[in-house]
Amino acid sequence: MLRRKRWLFALMAILPTLAIFAWVRVYPIWETLRLSVHKWDILSKNKPFIGMANFQELFRDRLFIEALTNTAIIAFGVLLVTIPLSLVLAALIHYRSRSRLAAFYETSVFIPHVVSLVPAAMAWKWIFDAKLGPLNALLTFVGIEPQAWLFDPVLSIICVIVLCSWQALGYAVLIYLVGFKSLPVSLYEAAKLDGASGPQSFWFLSIPMLKPITLYVSVVTLVSGFNVYAQAYVLASDAQGAPGRQVRVLVLDMLENSFRNYRVGYAASEAVVLLLIVLLLTLVQFGLLRDKGGRA
Amino acid sequence: MTAHHHISALSKTGRALLVGTVFGVSLASAAAAVEITVWSGYPEMVPFYEHVAEGMKADHPDLTVRVEAIALREHEKRIALGLTSGEAAEVIELAKSTATRYLENELFDKAPDNIAAFVSDPANFGEFFRDSASYGGAVYGVPLFRGQSALYYNTKMFEAAGLTEPPRTMADFTTYAEKLTQRDGNGNPTVSGWSMRLSGGGAGIAEKFWINMFQYGESLVEQSADGKWRSSFANDAGLAALKQYIENVHGLKTVTVEMPADAEAFEREQTAMFIRESWVIGDIAAKAPGLQYATSTLPTGSIVAPVTLWVTGEGAEAEAAWAFAEAANTPDNLLWMLDNVGWLPNRLGLDYSGILANKPAFGAFVNYPESYKFFSLPNIGPVEEILTRTADRLTQAFGNPSLAGNDAGIMDVLVAMQDEINGLLDREGLLAAE
Repeated sequence: MLRRKRWLFALMAILPTLAIFAWVRVYPIWETLRLSVHKWDILSKNKPFIGMANFQELFRDRLFIEALTNTAIIAFGVLLVTIPLSLVLAALIHYRSRSRLAAFYETSVFIPHVVSLVPAAMAWKWIFDAKLGPLNALLTFVGIEPQAWLFDPVLSIICVIVLCSWQALGYAVLIYLVGFKSLPVSLYEAAKLDGASGPQSFWFLSIPMLKPITLYVSVVTLVSGFNVYAQAYVLASDAQGAPGRQVRVLVLDMLENSFRNYRVGYAASEAVVLLLIVLLLTLVQFGLLRDKGGRA
Repeated sequence: MTAHHHISALSKTGRALLVGTVFGVSLASAAAAVEITVWSGYPEMVPFYEHVAEGMKADHPDLTVRVEAIALREHEKRIALGLTSGEAAEVIELAKSTATRYLENELFDKAPDNIAAFVSDPANFGEFFRDSASYGGAVYGVPLFRGQSALYYNTKMFEAAGLTEPPRTMADFTTYAEKLTQRDGNGNPTVSGWSMRLSGGGAGIAEKFWINMFQYGESLVEQSADGKWRSSFANDAGLAALKQYIENVHGLKTVTVEMPADAEAFEREQTAMFIRESWVIGDIAAKAPGLQYATSTLPTGSIVAPVTLWVTGEGAEAEAAWAFAEAANTPDNLLWMLDNVGWLPNRLGLDYSGILANKPAFGAFVNYPESYKFFSLPNIGPVEEILTRTADRLTQAFGNPSLAGNDAGIMDVLVAMQDEINGLLDREGLLAAE
């Protein structure tokens, strides 16, 4: 009886949270799944069921393929830049933690993560500007041909990767710093006694022991990489003057299909594809980085 | 009762009366106060709507008008979300080509009799603009202004290049661009001869291409006798239009993709000429008042994009919204809009002479030859998708140097664009038979 009461109490206590979670998370996902098999223009009361037609059209749609390719390149590009760089930066900051400037190092790395996205992207737009940007001024100064950063199909994607990595770095460094602080000092002391150098300790002790942190940071970075939108949008903002080349990414394509082309069902099928990709990649990452003991 | 108590009692009664009166008045004014919101996709229109609201104060002292203007593409998105969720503004400014979907789904209100009579009066609006505010034979909106294009050219640069008059043919545009381009020691252009829309994320690239192709006598889509639509510009006219872009960008290098462009470049004297709507005149007056420039009509004709005020809501708000739409259309307000903002009013019978005397640049927009032709975006569902997808293909073509001097390659691009548009029309059941 007492056990049942306890169980009931636990259920009642968790119910509000579950209800909120169901309302703000489960219901929208279910609704997106449902919409993806319907044809709906957001305005009409008619919402005919069309089965897998949206998905069949998706893989013949050159703009979707372009958006998917660009998004994947950006997401993996950000991952490849962010993980090693944040690990090295966190290690450097950690080993300089007794320095008077330690707080300054941490703050300066973390600031890009908390700076509002649009003004930051506008600043980067200026940095990449082909005519007035400091980046091309620097290249010219060292004798390199200036580049049309925001207009070239390849360079414009690189610009988005740089901007996203710059923003993701602060959070990743912070998480790695927490990881470094939890590593047992005795192991490093033992390694030192055995003659291991600093880089060797970093490579053979820190990196393997930080695997769970790397898993978490890489999942978060990759998922946010696949959700890239505002960075690509602002870098090509269509203001009077010199709008850049629009790097088509999945979220941008979805928004365009939903609210400009009035194809909400079709956009929902794109969202489902994005969901499946992110789920699959997360599972793969868990598989690759899981500890042999079975715990991530 | 002492005098003190008497005064004190009176004072209490007075306070109670005062509180009661204030409470009563505020209740009454709360009942009479009406607030409406205007959604605009043109931030430069904010002063105009505020001017209209200010003018309504005498007749509607309790009316508050909030004007919320954002960039056009974002404006279109908020309308899609706002109208379907019942959270839209009472007055919505929108082009008919985009508004058609909402009219089909009865998301805009039908105009009351007095407004319908005003809009239907041929003395107030021509047939084209009456149609732009109507659907199924009934009036749903009040026509306000239109986007119409003309050539802007820097007279100082023209003089320096020995050019005495604006280009008259499309071939002239290229010849002029060559003469007007300023270059550095390596031959790279520093001031473009003719700024063309070559980049960006919007449908504007396709719209501007359509305007240029129209000068050669071709359109992106055309309506057939059965009321359906078809795209068939993969021909000599289409080739000439796209080839002119490629020739200027990759052949003659009178302009590059990354050069500053559009109104901003013109105002900073970074380009010698470009094609745009009349709002640029207001923009120049505000940002570059010393700029020496003139305008000219285009060789064949122009786009006309009529923008209308639509209303949603009910009760006092809807009533106030219609009153606002009507007030925006008084001759005084429309002339104020032209003079201060630069958009062209749609109403007939306005006396532009005073404004033209001070700002002759408006001449190319209101005084055009009788043979001048106009086209507008079709009022069909997939129009935005057609423009967006065409813009994407054009952007790729503009950035492809292998197309220079390659007519077959350019024709392949045109065929791909045309087939894609026809595919979209077919998907929506709008494709006309060949």
